[in-house]
Amino acid sequence: MRTTLWIWICIGVLYGGAMDSSEAKIELGHRLFYDADLSINGTMSCATCHEQKNAFTDGNIAHPGALGHEGKRNVPGLSNIGLFKNLTWANPYVSGLAQQALMPISGTNPIEMGMSGYEDEIAKRLRQNECYQKLFALAFGEEEESINLNNVTQALESFQKTLISNDSLYDQKIKNHQPLPTKEAQEGEKLFFGAAKCNLCHTAPLFSDDDFHHVQLHKLPIDNKTEDNGLFEATGKVKDRGFFRTPSLRNAALTAPYWHDGSAKTLIEAIQQHNLTINHKLSEKEMQKIVAFIQTLNDNSFVTNPKFGKPSNDCTH
Amino acid sequence: MKKALYIGLLCIGLFAKEVDLSAELSAWKSLSYKTAAKDSNGTLSAILELNKASYVGLINTPKIQYVSRPTNEGGSVSYGGMFQVEIKQKGIYRVSLGNASWIELVKDGKLATSAAHQRGPQDSGIRKIVDYALESGVYTLQLSASGDSATALLITKIK
Ligand code: HEC
Ligand code: HEC
Repeated sequence: MRTTLWIWICIGVLYGGAMDSSEAKIELGHRLFYDADLSINGTMSCATCHEQKNAFTDGNIAHPGALGHEGKRNVPGLSNIGLFKNLTWANPYVSGLAQQALMPISGTNPIEMGMSGYEDEIAKRLRQNECYQKLFALAFGEEEESINLNNVTQALESFQKTLISNDSLYDQKIKNHQPLPTKEAQEGEKLFFGAAKCNLCHTAPLFSDDDFHHVQLHKLPIDNKTEDNGLFEATGKVKDRGFFRTPSLRNAALTAPYWHDGSAKTLIEAIQQHNLTINHKLSEKEMQKIVAFIQTLNDNSFVTNPKFGKPSNDCTH
Repeated sequence: MKKALYIGLLCIGLFAKEVDLSAELSAWKSLSYKTAAKDSNGTLSAILELNKASYVGLINTPKIQYVSRPTNEGGSVSYGGMFQVEIKQKGIYRVSLGNASWIELVKDGKLATSAAHQRGPQDSGIRKIVDYALESGVYTLQLSASGDSATALLITKIK
């Protein structure tokens, strides 16, 4: 009897401890996501390009880097990003959110946060901050070197995995077995999952199949150097030229402009821009209905939840 | 590195290539020097006048106590600061800035809404132009997340 009790206490302590460290990782990642010290001149945090109010995009065609270098691709939203296997617009080799975080921090194509060659600087800056000293210790243990870039990216991963968007009007209606409120949205839903076949690639519930497709209006020439080659840039396979990962349409009404290059200003333009016969045959009215449906995928709690917003200055630990 | 930037900016600001600037931007060509304030008291002596371009010295971010926490605050190695500007007439005002700092205008704890953004004319030394709808009263202009320890600044009324 006594032994069982002790086992339970041990499990309790271990479990409690584990909970603490994963919560600490999330809180740490949250702070880091909003910390401009992750950029070379302290001018840019992840949230500079990924703004909560726009479902973690920024409203620009492309966002210049901390040192003014031109951006290459449109900033994607981060709704449910922890559920994606393929990360970024066109790369099957990014192993996860931790590895992805290194791309803006120290990537050079394009230069975003500008830390290439200065990676050690990040830990140096963070070590000055008492709150980080406490949070890193809670999240990764007391060892002296626990404030390091690897743990920074692990914490960013933990935070980004909490970016769940599943409380849109569409989700609420599905849960309660109710139809969407307007006739237009209902008809749009029917088209989306039926005749217009959007669901083939923008597959519910993520509204992305997490796979790569060629939907560009024109085929890129073999010797193309000026335009974005998409998946080819990662794989080097000629057949991958012009392929991009299907973007999620959750909160898409908040993430304009659209397309990997930000070339579509509106949802209607984005729909027309697919090189798909079905999309081109849709009438203006039908497209408007589909847009009305896409608007029901807006999740207000996702873009206002303080757990995802700018963290307070106070260190709660 | 920083000195070079400083000198570079000064050159951009003072010796910008002769370009045709519209009437409301013409004051850009005659800068005066001002140091930013690090707290609300300091703004009393960091006053910007309309239609007068200033070359402004900024302060290391951790030393600043902003009147209102900026949306984009910057990190420990960035720069920023505050100024006071008196608006006598309600209208649309234009802030032209030599670098890409984050700009916020605050009155009574509330942020003024920005009406439009654009880049400055080519070779003018103006990096960023933001228009704000302002009421009459005293505003605090906050610059944050600046990569440089100095930049140039001009406020004009456009409507
Ligand atoms: C300068 C703007 C900018 C900054 C700063 C930035 N990002 Fe991004 N982010 C982008 C762009 C652009 C892409 C798409 C890149 C591509 O497809 O090649 C992207 C893609 C992503 C993705 C993949 C999204 C998807 O749909 O697969 C994640 C996750 C992400 N960023 C997280 C972060 C984190 C974490 C940080 C901070 C460490 C950060 N970003 C900083 C612009 C930015
Ligand atoms: C064959 C797969 C496929 C089908 C079918 C498809 N799409 Fe897409 N869609 C994509 C891909 C891939 C992209 C990204 C293209 C790019 O950026 O180069 C995309 C982009 C979009 C975008 C822009 C999203 C953003 O964040 O940039 C919207 C909106 C969109 N699709 C809506 C639709 C609608 C509505 C339908 C049905 C009428 C549809 N799509 C059918 C694959 C598909």
